[in-house]
Amino acid sequence: MNAWELIIQQPVINILIMLTQYLGGSFGLAIIALTIGVNVIILPLNLKQMRATRAMQEIQPRVAELQKKYAKDKQKLSQEQMKLYKESGMNPAGCLLPMLIQMPIWIALYQSVMLSLAVAPEGLLNLSRYLYSWPELYLILPLSRDFMWGLLDLAEPNVVLAILVGATMWLQQKMATPVSADPKQAAQSRMMLWMMPMMFTFLALSFPSGLALFWVTSSIVRIAMQYYVTGWGALVPTSTGDTTDRDKKYKKLIGRAEGKSSPDVGADIVIRDDEREQTAGDTGDQAPGSARYQSGRDRSRHRKK
Amino acid sequence: MSFRRKTRYSVKGLLLLLVIFLVGLIGLGCIQGLQPVGWSGGAVSGNTLFVGSLEGRLVAVNTVDTSRQWSDELKAEVKSGGFNLGCTLGGGGGAKVAIYGTPVVAGDLVYLGGYNGKVYAFNADSLGVRWVYPPDDYLRDKEKKVVPIIGGLATDLEKVYFGGSDGKVYALDATTGEEKWKFVTEDEDTIWSTPAVKDGTLYIGSFDKKLYAIDTETGKEKWRGPFKTEGVIVSTPVVYNNTVYFGSFDRHLYAVDIVNGKEIWKFPATDEAENNPGNWFWTKPVVYKDAVYAGNLDGEVYVLQADSGNKIAEFDLGSPVSSAPVMVADSIIFASRKGAVYNLDTRSNQIKQIADIEDEVYGPLAQSEGVIYIHTPNLVLHRINADTGAILMSISLKSTE
Repeated sequence: MNAWELIIQQPVINILIMLTQYLGGSFGLAIIALTIGVNVIILPLNLKQMRATRAMQEIQPRVAELQKKYAKDKQKLSQEQMKLYKESGMNPAGCLLPMLIQMPIWIALYQSVMLSLAVAPEGLLNLSRYLYSWPELYLILPLSRDFMWGLLDLAEPNVVLAILVGATMWLQQKMATPVSADPKQAAQSRMMLWMMPMMFTFLALSFPSGLALFWVTSSIVRIAMQYYVTGWGALVPTSTGDTTDRDKKYKKLIGRAEGKSSPDVGADIVIRDDEREQTAGDTGDQAPGSARYQSGRDRSRHRKK
Repeated sequence: MSFRRKTRYSVKGLLLLLVIFLVGLIGLGCIQGLQPVGWSGGAVSGNTLFVGSLEGRLVAVNTVDTSRQWSDELKAEVKSGGFNLGCTLGGGGGAKVAIYGTPVVAGDLVYLGGYNGKVYAFNADSLGVRWVYPPDDYLRDKEKKVVPIIGGLATDLEKVYFGGSDGKVYALDATTGEEKWKFVTEDEDTIWSTPAVKDGTLYIGSFDKKLYAIDTETGKEKWRGPFKTEGVIVSTPVVYNNTVYFGSFDRHLYAVDIVNGKEIWKFPATDEAENNPGNWFWTKPVVYKDAVYAGNLDGEVYVLQADSGNKIAEFDLGSPVSSAPVMVADSIIFASRKGAVYNLDTRSNQIKQIADIEDEVYGPLAQSEGVIYIHTPNLVLHRINADTGAILMSISLKSTE
């Protein structure tokens, strides 16, 4: 057994089988429970990713302003964009790192679900080498593939579940995708928005539905988290009041997840709509450099409130 | 670097990650036991060894000159609609039909069951199909899904017997393939065990954790284990001196009375060297001269007294033992998953490694004229001299070579 199997795969498989044992022998419920559990554990990473996405969304109007202002001076535009980007404490690639860290976790979960399902005889034989010596594990295997009173065979592809995979993934992505001021970037985002759900729908039609159940659960959990942080996001335009309420919840959640006090958290990247409008009005023809986002001042404003 | 370029790179990065993720999903998924591949062993008759290949064909290998002959490829149900990356149950959609059971030779016929839910009788000479069961369709369960046949077949020359994944035991006329009777197990749970037939009674284990004794003439139950093991039964039972021996996933080896199915003894697998409770008893034990030799997935071979279940010896083979051993004179040849081949001398109860084929071994071993045949998942038939351990030239089972 290699390090990956020993440290990641084996514990996950054993937990999954134990969960099945304690959830009345339902492997479907065990998949749902484990997916939710893992999402809770990696909540800080998820929130970090959402924060990066949200930050990108927040500065879009300012980016558009700069693009308009320096349409003919590309070099200056780059400099100003970098400044804005640096001062707002975000990185356009900031959502990549959390995603990169999460990927092995999702691959381990995926592998564990597939191994535990043991669709083919080789799978069951292979599964035996991952088992701890807990007696319960040996008694429940092979796991029952029936879920929802026999309506769903977790070892076979299921069209309804495959469609749900695509739909929930699209919904979650739509909520999380920032509205881009740049038409090219917006087109790329639109492509991503459709490509990923379509590919996963295709995969769900080819793989056992136990895996589709894992994807659907994962998407639903992320939709719930996304809603808690940003509301419906790009799906439905939100009023200013709603945004403020969400901001408070979001900051509180980030604070709890990252162990910081709530007034400090997220202040670097939150620009409220009313402040933005006011800033835009005040600056008028001012150079964008002087109108740029000043993190220290904004933070003190937040604290006073 | 401009903001726009950076964002473009981040989108490209996301796309790259997505592609890596998807390739990982498909690649890792397909190689780790999602796709049925098969592990048929070989059956020897005269100078011919018959084996079910990973291409879904019956192959006849001449053990003298190593010439080969192939049957037509078995056909799986063609699924309409949907997609198939070769990772789903059924082995359909263009995938090769997996063959798990070892062929059975009786007279001029060779019998073989497939993962496609069909049983075939081939002419031993020409490898042409004599009959197929079911003749026009595939074996199907109540929900009309194809029933894979994973366990092997058994015959008493009159009938051919097998258990299906639908929890039924079937008896077919050995000459015509006509269904003679069908026995439905109590819970209609999956059967992967190969039946053992002796003196008009068929013994077979089931996923419902029971061992069944069925009258081969009528198809009626004689008894079902008055006890229930705590794990599923996959191993093929062995009948010896009025006792039936079989292993279970509850990590015990059982001996039950042939007359009433009552438990005589049970032995818990425990790897004493590592102070570890053992693993599943997956494969068929061998009973020889009042001793039981049973391989376990914990990598041990346990030697027990046949009448009491007391342990005589225990040997560590280093990796799981899932392939059925074979007897050569007074020796029992075992192979571990990693390809180490051992000779266990039953007279001295000494074991020694005689060869290492450096290939994974899942299927049962076969022997002919002192040569051991091991079919590995890369379509190769390895040959080893049982006495010296010399590795002889292997035989490719690929129909294109």
